[in-house]
Amino acid sequence: MENVLNKEIKEIIDACPEVGRILDEYGIGCVPCSVGSCLLKDVVGIHNLDPEQEATLMYRIEKAIYPGRNVPKPVVDKTKKSAPKKISYSPPVKKLVEEHVLIKRLLALIPTIVEYIEGSIKVDKDLILKCVDFIRTYADKYHHMKEEDILFKYVDEKAEVIQVMYKDHDTGRAHIRQVVEGAEKGNKAQIKEHLFGYRDLLTQHIKKEDEILYPWIDRQLSTTQVGEIFRKCNEADASVGDELPRKYERFIVELEEKFLQEVAK
Amino acid sequence: MSGCPGSKTIDFSEKTNQEGSETGKRPSQLRQWPIQMHLVSPQAPYFQGKDVLLAADCSAFALGDFHKDYLKGKSIGIACPKLDSDQEVYIEKIKSLIDNAKINTLTVMIMQVPCCFGLAQIAKEGAEKASRKIPVKQVVVGLEGNILSEEWI
Repeated sequence: MENVLNKEIKEIIDACPEVGRILDEYGIGCVPCSVGSCLLKDVVGIHNLDPEQEATLMYRIEKAIYPGRNVPKPVVDKTKKSAPKKISYSPPVKKLVEEHVLIKRLLALIPTIVEYIEGSIKVDKDLILKCVDFIRTYADKYHHMKEEDILFKYVDEKAEVIQVMYKDHDTGRAHIRQVVEGAEKGNKAQIKEHLFGYRDLLTQHIKKEDEILYPWIDRQLSTTQVGEIFRKCNEADASVGDELPRKYERFIVELEEKFLQEVAK
Repeated sequence: MSGCPGSKTIDFSEKTNQEGSETGKRPSQLRQWPIQMHLVSPQAPYFQGKDVLLAADCSAFALGDFHKDYLKGKSIGIACPKLDSDQEVYIEKIKSLIDNAKINTLTVMIMQVPCCFGLAQIAKEGAEKASRKIPVKQVVVGLEGNILSEEWI
């Protein structure tokens, strides 16, 4: 089983799809992951399951991979802490989770925006570029850069889970480049495809961060590191000024007002 | 069972569930003097840029691994929110620790008895009055030395 623990999850699921179904039962959604390069041991460890749950999960995975093998009954490590009932973030991580809320508000508007663009005679380039500006400046520069330049530096950046996050950020940037190209050409299909691509990617990405990655990072941080990250994030925010987040919050409010009216028409 | 939980007589000398090891000598992790909140100065070098533990007087006696798990690597101030006088001085000192000594974090460790939550309130007020913002953690210790909760506030 030791060598299976060190295998990439996609390779394991491809060889034995039952493993994907078992992981799904435990709320570990690796099957739809486009990368799947996390090692099985990291995938299980990051979810901070109860010792009983983890032992049973590993037992079931081993039975699925080696059906003919006489797999010993689960050994429960009672020294491991149980998963907390509710997620409690450290202050700097909590701030990042709060920033996700504004990004999710834009993601929620994307279907309505796409519908509006499809129904318009001419592509509203100004609207698209304003949304792109929010994504590039608020979501990417203001938010993702704090993750990439500060938070991720406090864990093993080579860990597959972190690499997946970097890849998601890059894939998101590629979608947005395509959206800009679509807006320049007036290509509605291209705008639609890549706005929805960005929405689907970021929806999953934020869920992974809020529920899995951030709590996993928080569990590894010492009190001193939490203080350092808090200070560095505050310095990063101060370097762009208080007005930037306020400006983009106002933009989202205006967008919501505009498109809620569109929906109500 | 009535009266103040903070001063109610409880005897758990018959406690038999004693997990852990008593082998080896445990060195003190204290790196400063004084420690009482009325006696410490926020200007003291041992506070500058450090992680600070504001501990209720009783907590170090209750918690078996106080030095190893909570004092190590931190500077400390101790206080009793039930018996100490002039506690507004504590609020000002916490404010000064945050603004002037630029401490990295503040961990406030209290006992589970209701009166001890006054120390958490003092820490909160000091942090709110400060112009700098830092992470503040609250650790609640049970009467028998168990950690009841540990969370950022």
